[in-house]
Amino acid sequence: MAAATTDDTGLRRGRFAPYGLLSPGIIWLLVFFLVPVVMLVRASLSTKPSRFAEPVFSWDFSNYGSALSEYSDEFIRSFLYAGTATVLAILIGYPLAYWIATCGGRWKNFLIGLVVVPFFTSYLIRTIAWTSILQDDGVVTGLYRLLPWVGSDGRILATPMAVIGGLTYNFISFMILPIYVSLEKIDFRLTEAAADLGCTPWRAFRKVVLPLSLPGIFAGSLLVFIPAAGDYLNARYLGSPQTSMIGTVVQNKFLVQFDYPQAAALSLVLMVIITVLVLIYSKFLGTEGLAV
Amino acid sequence: MTMAEGAAPPVVAEVRPAVGSDRPTRAGSGWGRRVLTAVAVLAYLWLFLPILNIVVFTFNDPAGKYNLSWERFTLENWAEPFKDAQLTEAFWRSLVVAAVAVAVALAMGSLIAIALSRYRFTGNKVTEVFLVLPLTTPEIVLGASLYQLFLGRGVVLGQVTVIIAHIMFLVSFVAMTVKARVRGFDWTVEDAAMDLGARPLRVFWKVTFPLILPGILAAALLSFALSLDDYIVTDFTRGEFTTFPIQVNNAFRVSFPPQVNVLATLILVVTLILFTIGPLSQRRRGAAAG
Amino acid sequence: MTNRVSRRNFLVSTAALGGLAAGSTALAACGGSEESGSSTTAAGGGGAAANTLTFDNWTLYIDKPNDDLFGEGGTLAEFQKATGIKVDYTEGINDNNELFAKIQPLLSKGEPIGSTIIAPTFWMAGRLLQLGWLDQLPLAEVPNAANLITSLQKPPSDPTGEYSLPWQSGMAGIAYNQSVTGREIRTVEDLWDPAFRGKIGMLTEMRDTIGLIAMSLGIDLENPDAQDYQPAFAKLEEEVANGQIRQFTGNDYVDDLEQGNYAACVGWSGDVAQLAVSNPDIKFVVPESGGTLWFDTMVIPKGASAEQIEAAGKFMNFVYDPVNAARITESVQYISPVQGVQEELRKMGGEAAALADNQLLFPDASTLASLQTWGTLSEEKEQQMDEEFARISGA
Repeated sequence: MAAATTDDTGLRRGRFAPYGLLSPGIIWLLVFFLVPVVMLVRASLSTKPSRFAEPVFSWDFSNYGSALSEYSDEFIRSFLYAGTATVLAILIGYPLAYWIATCGGRWKNFLIGLVVVPFFTSYLIRTIAWTSILQDDGVVTGLYRLLPWVGSDGRILATPMAVIGGLTYNFISFMILPIYVSLEKIDFRLTEAAADLGCTPWRAFRKVVLPLSLPGIFAGSLLVFIPAAGDYLNARYLGSPQTSMIGTVVQNKFLVQFDYPQAAALSLVLMVIITVLVLIYSKFLGTEGLAV
Repeated sequence: MTMAEGAAPPVVAEVRPAVGSDRPTRAGSGWGRRVLTAVAVLAYLWLFLPILNIVVFTFNDPAGKYNLSWERFTLENWAEPFKDAQLTEAFWRSLVVAAVAVAVALAMGSLIAIALSRYRFTGNKVTEVFLVLPLTTPEIVLGASLYQLFLGRGVVLGQVTVIIAHIMFLVSFVAMTVKARVRGFDWTVEDAAMDLGARPLRVFWKVTFPLILPGILAAALLSFALSLDDYIVTDFTRGEFTTFPIQVNNAFRVSFPPQVNVLATLILVVTLILFTIGPLSQRRRGAAAG
Repeated sequence: MTNRVSRRNFLVSTAALGGLAAGSTALAACGGSEESGSSTTAAGGGGAAANTLTFDNWTLYIDKPNDDLFGEGGTLAEFQKATGIKVDYTEGINDNNELFAKIQPLLSKGEPIGSTIIAPTFWMAGRLLQLGWLDQLPLAEVPNAANLITSLQKPPSDPTGEYSLPWQSGMAGIAYNQSVTGREIRTVEDLWDPAFRGKIGMLTEMRDTIGLIAMSLGIDLENPDAQDYQPAFAKLEEEVANGQIRQFTGNDYVDDLEQGNYAACVGWSGDVAQLAVSNPDIKFVVPESGGTLWFDTMVIPKGASAEQIEAAGKFMNFVYDPVNAARITESVQYISPVQGVQEELRKMGGEAAALADNQLLFPDASTLASLQTWGTLSEEKEQQMDEEFARISGA
């Protein structure tokens, strides 16, 4: 181990040791994350003379134009569904996390553990389970049809509602846990103090608790939005041809049509839009963003 | 608050005793609290509805090839959990992939976490941002880009490429989780040990490793689940190698046997047991140390 | 242990991961089914490869006595008894495009895939042939090929008949749940009845879905390069856009039919033949404008050894014996490519004999006359149609 001195923060100044520790993992990420993304960029600028021919690199930017013009519906849908799912996950996940943090008592760890349990059965199988629960002849759809604005032939499966519901369901643990972690750090005696000073509970929540839990909401939103926007299994099982998302198109273009250039362009557009949205969102929430 | 911390994935290990106390607080008493409790109960029901469906359908005797409509009760599926050979082989393959990928990612990720939380060095900010990127990149982009890499290099897709891909997305995850856990440790204990004449390697195993072990265990459990469950990245890197989720999805065009539910339930039960043992053993260790 | 498990999935393991892969093989073998340990071949003598034949087929596509592929009295066991060759049979195919995606990287580099025989649908067999990835079949080993029904000898997808032989055949038509539709369905136009909005399903198999619609518009399928299928795509797009069509699926439509999610859909005869036994409301009809006739094939991708090819020929010959063909038909309930199966089923008596009179397995002359089999599409046209279909079906 290289010579190291400890400064007053307890952190060491390392000369070689830290790089030695980092190198296996970082090299792995360079080779299998960064280099592939570069290859993807390269593929997106290639042309493929015919379906089974090798793509040729040619600075062909037309793949981006056609990606955006032909699949704008799928892009809009992906971001709309993922955004709605994220909002729903906050609306459901925040009260649940708040309830556990404030009312959980000594059952806290058990209750938060319960949130993680569904996450340990395969996400695909959970999605298929929803198709069984929501089938047209099933109890849930039967009850849904009793709603005044739903006709007797109303359905849940193969609608945007089912896809958004599936996305919310499948990724909500990623929302609840960070929110819970941030709530856990709050000393709720603060709100009691505020209440003692004549503050209404709602005002105390808004002025004290909510700002302190924003980092959790921020992290949770990213962890729900990003996978939801790129997902294609929920749309496949719970959706219809009119609810297909951009992930479906990318998967099909890569693995079925072998249209690598356009598929690469589509996935890079997805990546860029997500990065931009993340940056805007982080600015909006007043956090420091990606700059650590 | 930084992005890096924010994106630190759900960390069970972070769930430690609250700053306040374990007694319920007065926050939001009365009506507000009752509404909140109702919302929480409904949310739990919603979270567990599909799980209940999966477990109940392990006892179904489907009429056709799809175990999705209730027909009649049977115990047969549990008597023959491994009846579907393709599914069973895929199930074991998934476990092997997860075991290998998690082991490698744990080693690499923990070293990164140690480096980042113990040392101050040129490039540590860049490293932290770089580590977050795989977590903020949609899986489909990770999968697609690896697909391009392997295709371009003429690498035959299969078990090895799937393991490589899983290690890739797990390394960041492990590094973040372990780092969040060891943040704020007093590293001077290492110096103390060395001052007392212990050799560096010995210091690592006797001092550092026990300190970061709980973080590593939490990361191991969650990474294992992430690997086992992964669909999208695997789909792009597998060639003709099938894992459990892939097999279920592909076979869904033709059948959905009850054994899928049985094996999924088995995974659930095993992780539940690990969950109960994990915190218990940590508590015991904590008690011994304290 | 046999090489059943290690055969293809661990083929790629490098030295670095070799040890782990070996471990996984052991694990997988524990979980695998009984056939691994049992029955080594009589003619054995060490060299496993010479007396083993690998066949990757579609799921649930051969008889399974007592739920065991290799069970006593089953086709695979009988074949081994007759020839000493053990069939290393796997059910790895779920979809033609998925199959292609999986073998393409290997075959395009001239590397062997794990299986000696695979079972692509005729048009995929045609594509593999055009790409030059198939070996010639050892027709000398297959005298029983003379038993094949004439329409399946030398089909357009394999004009010389030297590269593919049919496995099973079937019809695509309309499957419906009469308790949901409340009436009989007879034509493709019936599917567009507004009463069934959101309850109509289509197959992800482009040729069957577009084929049925095209025929309803009077467009021929047998000489596709001379035809313009745009009207059929336009019709499909219209019905997707107005919400008539609920989903595009593989065989899972059988479940949607049973659950009442679908009123009617484009479906395959064999599925409905099996389903109708448990649910008499589920019916299959060849639309008045005609249905498609398809067949899955047995082909040998390049890279197999001479011994493996010979063994493959013996297997093909075996399943073309009407007695053996009838055993498979009794179980899978698709249309057999072999003449004489109907008589063999009658001889078997009981339920099997009832199948001999089933129109779905043995369609009458007028039904057969209304069926069309897709001719070969040029690569360019196929690509264009695939892309159009993917776009409309939301894939």
